[in-house]
Amino acid sequence: MSIFGSNEKKTEENTTYFFNVEKDRVNQSTLAKDIKIHGSIEAKDYIDFSGSITGTIKATTVNLKPSSYVKGTVTGDTVTIEGEVDGDIQAKDVYIKSTARIKGNIRYTNIDIQNGSIINADLFYSS
Amino acid sequence: MNDQVEDSTAQDNDAKTILVGAGVRLEGRIDGAEHADIAGTLSGTLKSSSVNIEGNGNFNGDMSGKEITISGYVEGNISSENFLTVNQSATIKGNIEYASLQVSYGAKIQGTLRHRGSVHSYAPEQTEINSEAEQVSE
Repeated sequence: MSIFGSNEKKTEENTTYFFNVEKDRVNQSTLAKDIKIHGSIEAKDYIDFSGSITGTIKATTVNLKPSSYVKGTVTGDTVTIEGEVDGDIQAKDVYIKSTARIKGNIRYTNIDIQNGSIINADLFYSS
Repeated sequence: MNDQVEDSTAQDNDAKTILVGAGVRLEGRIDGAEHADIAGTLSGTLKSSSVNIEGNGNFNGDMSGKEITISGYVEGNISSENFLTVNQSATIKGNIEYASLQVSYGAKIQGTLRHRGSVHSYAPEQTEINSEAEQVSE
């Protein structure tokens, strides 16, 4: 490993994303705050969602930002929620952050809930 | 009944403490406690301002308190006025009412979460108008 060159590149990558730093985030979709969707979004890899949607979101990694609002279904391997969800969440790993507000059903294998979040939901654990 | 109420240490702080040691099985109703530390098995009703269900601890029934920490197994209803902490090793089956909740990755919860005071403090813009789904159940 060369000492200087590779290190610089790595730190650059690491600071770009707060969550789940991955090397090849080629297929990353970001949907900004002012987007409103009726319908469904599906992506293979990674969705960063800040808008509002009535419908479904599906991706391997779904990241619902603080301003996001979802009425419907969120499905993924890893789902991180900082916004508001009214509906069903289904994921292997569910991370609920302090700003989250959730109503509905959560189906999960692993769950992590931060202090401050407001959850009125039915939890279903499956291994 | 082989209940083990330990206030024999007779310090003022321990005056309202109930300790169910590992391997001990207790059935009944506990009220007015300040601290409850359950490392054994407790079945019944527990009211204590702070509750700690240890890693090996087992609780069956209704539990209410201000600050509740769960590391063991709980089957029944939990009502927490203040902080509810669910540690990684915990398994909970039942209904949970909470004001502030923290769950560590790895904990297993099967049941309903209900936030206290949601009606008053939360969501002035009513998003619940067309959700006839889970909301009505209580």
